[in-house]
Amino acid sequence: MKHLIPEFEKLKQRFPAGFESSLVLPCVRRIQEDRGFVADSDIDGLVEYLGVPRIQIEEVLSYYTQFRRKPIGRWHLQTCRNLSCSMCGAERLMAHLKARLGIAPGETTADGRFTFSTVECLGSCGTAPVVMVNDTYHESMSIEKLDALIAKLD
Amino acid sequence: MPGKPLIMTFPVTATSHTLADYRARGGYATLARVVAGMPQEEIVKTVTTAGLLGHGGAAFSAGRKWSVINLRDGQPHFLCANADEGEPGTFKDRWILEHAPHLLIESMLIVSYALEVRHAFVYIRGEFDLPYRRLAGAIDEAYDAGLLGEGVLGTGFALDLVAYRGAGSYVCGEASGLLSSLEGKRGYPRNRPPRLTVQGLYKRPTVVNNVETLANVTGIVANGADWYRSFGTAKCPGTQLVSISGHIAKPGVYEVEYGYPLAKFLYEDCGGMVGGRKLKALIPGGISTKVLTGAECESVTYDHQSLGAAGSSCGSGGMVAIAEGTCMVRLLQVLLRFYHHESCGQCTPCRDGTGWMHRIIDRIVAGNGRLDDLDRLLEISRRNDGTTICGMGDAAGYATVGILAKFRDEFEYWIEHGRSRCDGALEIAAHA
Amino acid sequence: MPEIFINGHPVQAEKGQTVLQAALANGFYIPYFCWHPALSIAGNCRICVVQVEGRSWCEISCNLPVTDGMRVLTDSELVRAQRKDTMQFITLNHPVDCGICDKAGECTLQDYHYAYNGAPSISREPKVTATKFHDLSDRILLDNERCILCSRCVRFTREVSKSSALGITRRGDESLLRASEDGVLDRDAYSDNVIDICPVGALLSKSFLYKARVWYLKPTPSVCPGCARGCAVDIWHRKPEWKLRALDPQQNTSIARVTPRGAQGPDGPWICNKGRDLARIFERPRATAPMVKGKPVELAAALANVRSLIAAARHPAALVSGWGSNEEFAAFRAAFGDTFRVHVKHDHRPEPGEVVEDGFLIRADKNPNVAGARAVFGVGADSPPAWHGDTDLVLVWGEGCNFADLPRGAAVVFLNAYLAPENGHADVFLPISIATERAGHYTNFEGTVQGFAACFAKPQGASDAQALFESLATVAVATP
Repeated sequence: MKHLIPEFEKLKQRFPAGFESSLVLPCVRRIQEDRGFVADSDIDGLVEYLGVPRIQIEEVLSYYTQFRRKPIGRWHLQTCRNLSCSMCGAERLMAHLKARLGIAPGETTADGRFTFSTVECLGSCGTAPVVMVNDTYHESMSIEKLDALIAKLD
Repeated sequence: MPGKPLIMTFPVTATSHTLADYRARGGYATLARVVAGMPQEEIVKTVTTAGLLGHGGAAFSAGRKWSVINLRDGQPHFLCANADEGEPGTFKDRWILEHAPHLLIESMLIVSYALEVRHAFVYIRGEFDLPYRRLAGAIDEAYDAGLLGEGVLGTGFALDLVAYRGAGSYVCGEASGLLSSLEGKRGYPRNRPPRLTVQGLYKRPTVVNNVETLANVTGIVANGADWYRSFGTAKCPGTQLVSISGHIAKPGVYEVEYGYPLAKFLYEDCGGMVGGRKLKALIPGGISTKVLTGAECESVTYDHQSLGAAGSSCGSGGMVAIAEGTCMVRLLQVLLRFYHHESCGQCTPCRDGTGWMHRIIDRIVAGNGRLDDLDRLLEISRRNDGTTICGMGDAAGYATVGILAKFRDEFEYWIEHGRSRCDGALEIAAHA
Repeated sequence: MPEIFINGHPVQAEKGQTVLQAALANGFYIPYFCWHPALSIAGNCRICVVQVEGRSWCEISCNLPVTDGMRVLTDSELVRAQRKDTMQFITLNHPVDCGICDKAGECTLQDYHYAYNGAPSISREPKVTATKFHDLSDRILLDNERCILCSRCVRFTREVSKSSALGITRRGDESLLRASEDGVLDRDAYSDNVIDICPVGALLSKSFLYKARVWYLKPTPSVCPGCARGCAVDIWHRKPEWKLRALDPQQNTSIARVTPRGAQGPDGPWICNKGRDLARIFERPRATAPMVKGKPVELAAALANVRSLIAAARHPAALVSGWGSNEEFAAFRAAFGDTFRVHVKHDHRPEPGEVVEDGFLIRADKNPNVAGARAVFGVGADSPPAWHGDTDLVLVWGEGCNFADLPRGAAVVFLNAYLAPENGHADVFLPISIATERAGHYTNFEGTVQGFAACFAKPQGASDAQALFESLATVAVATP
């Protein structure tokens, strides 16, 4: 985490003075991008850097669905299961993913390649169903498109 | 186009979101006029007179919200654009963020100028990747062009703008939950009083406006209140970006002028239902607005008054069209699962009520329902209505009450027969 | 001052008050879980609803500022219905295991259930299960199923003890109270207050766990002797009428727990953890036999010995206990006049690991009544005492004296309550009572005088120091 401090310092410049607490979310996000998850030592480092209570970071990490404290697969497949996606085939997509990867939502394949999760509305209802692979939206998905996509992810 | 547009006035191209293109469309000319010395009160007055209402769901007068800010109180004021867009069915602000980020930035500069704001934020939901990159890119462009930072356009006015990313929480779309999140904490909504315009971000006066609401400001300030009032109806001026999805032939974002006939929008502009099916029901403004039956949609025009009279509202502009054959029991199950998943857990009725409703609907779907479970669902909805810190408790209830009021027979069928009358289908294939 | 009307009765409220505060201050009860007079407003439990007359809805009174002429109803039909609804929500996932819960008998949820709900649950769904017997800290056990997420404890650690040790993780009905993973709660010297302010049986004291049903206990008002602050406490012990016969009789004379005594003392409603652990101080093995040069003797013989030692002494000195009461100091002074050169003794000093002093309650002087002694004898607690060169007798009263530091060759009369090797090293040893066995007053460092009452009878063989001084006084009076 320490090597990211120069980046955090730059981030800080557009915030008013006294907004250290506000930096918790962006710093956690950046750490997670860097490491893949947020390690205990990262929390210690942030506590020291931002001067916020450790419990605040622990709360944030457990409250927001995007943050995680454990590593996951290289490719994180998140299928939206909310209304519009379900109305356009998300339930079939999820069943297909489950069968094809052999894992249930929340699990990672034994080879560490894929983690499969369900998420609530991603704001992509007009191009439902949507599957998010790491940070990228893949819209108007079908089983065929999903299979082709998975084949390309090593 | 369902009426005259205010925002979607240009063709989307590979570069239409850039500063150069925006400037070529006349962008930042209004800002230049404003910072050259437009009186602050005049801006607030113009927007108030124009009748600009919040486009995030509550439809509160933007100008009246701003007028609470005391320009001379010596405190820092904050402005925050709500780009958390998490109401299922809603993806309209995404259009502005992706295609007109500078329109939002210019508007925020104008509002910041009018309200003595030195630091402004765009709270954007964490899952939005492209919209974030577009917005962050536009902010960088604006800084480089001297439109943000110290000395905006060479004047004494200064503004710093931060694109702040959420991390996966629906209640952060509620203004006070958003500010809790912007303070780097859980997105717990806050009790009122105090109002956020009195004690908001870090207990300072803060204005939180929806992205689309703000995006309208530049046009209003540029062209005046009367110009804005020439759009829409007398009681409901302007337009609404409507995002439509579900079993509709041409889903997407449309700018609908208030007063436009709803049926015409659905059947002509959006091409009707997939596979030529009949419209069974319509969620008009995000899943927290009360559902309308297909028949009810026939005589409604798209504005606050007409939808209000029909027992629903424009909400967040997130329309979901539901075709004949869709199982409303499974549909409610999806919604109640969502509310349960997203309850922040802070206050009693929502924390316990959303989980309770979710477990009841799951039991019904599993074939173990009892007829009085439906009354129980209505009872819990009533108990959540108006008893929670934020509106989420109410919202879960509205969805439930709306669907049960109009489709109760489908629930009774499932309870009596242990299965769906519509084969449990949510998906309707386009070629069916 | 705004005038408001509660249930039609005019009430003078204070500016800036909430309806809840104004109501409670004027004798109108409104139920509350999450609100606490010493903490910020959370407004999450939703039980404190009232109805403003003319409105068709309720609002929470803890966050409703009074305005002049406001008319509120605390018991309208709508309020009663909404309270009942809220109670149904709160008990939805609560295990209702009062039969095995330490909080039973003093549980707000239990009381409110009878007062405002009284109906069985209408839910058919299984309850949400959560962690039980979770080790929140070395001292506190957490039952997440009983927790109603009122956040009082969280706010306490953020606003009062300032450790920020607690938080609520996850969300929705899976929310969990948790302690910060770096263990700051273990180091929070005020942590046990969260047990008291927990309105349900979620936070449990490990030392009190399953020890007693509270209705078999009675609180005796006392003063914490742990430092010069002198917090007003209640010492809870078995009610005499519920004396145990079958189990260990010691339980009848043990301290079950210690709690702060409301907001009447100089400490506010809080005490530190040391104050919770008075049993550790008071329940050490006791000395009960008077001795002369290490040999047990009758009290009369021991006293006779002391009398002759005092009579023979030319330069007697006394080390007066910083744990003595004002009454004992007065008795000492009345009995001995200026016979002794008096030094005030710090019986206790900070122990390794103990918080020496903080900006809140804890004082560096770990004795309850040095200020009282100073007021009577006009001397401070000098350490080490400046002995008169010819001191030939020292009366040592209480602990904390290393006999090796006493003037060489001086005879020693030792008054102590506990078993200690020094007892046998003294020329005369007299066992005395402890604060829980007698009444008296302490003067704290700010000059506040507070009384304590006896919880138990003193053990056979021990005497009150005051009685000893009085009985020895004849000698002192007879000597010119």
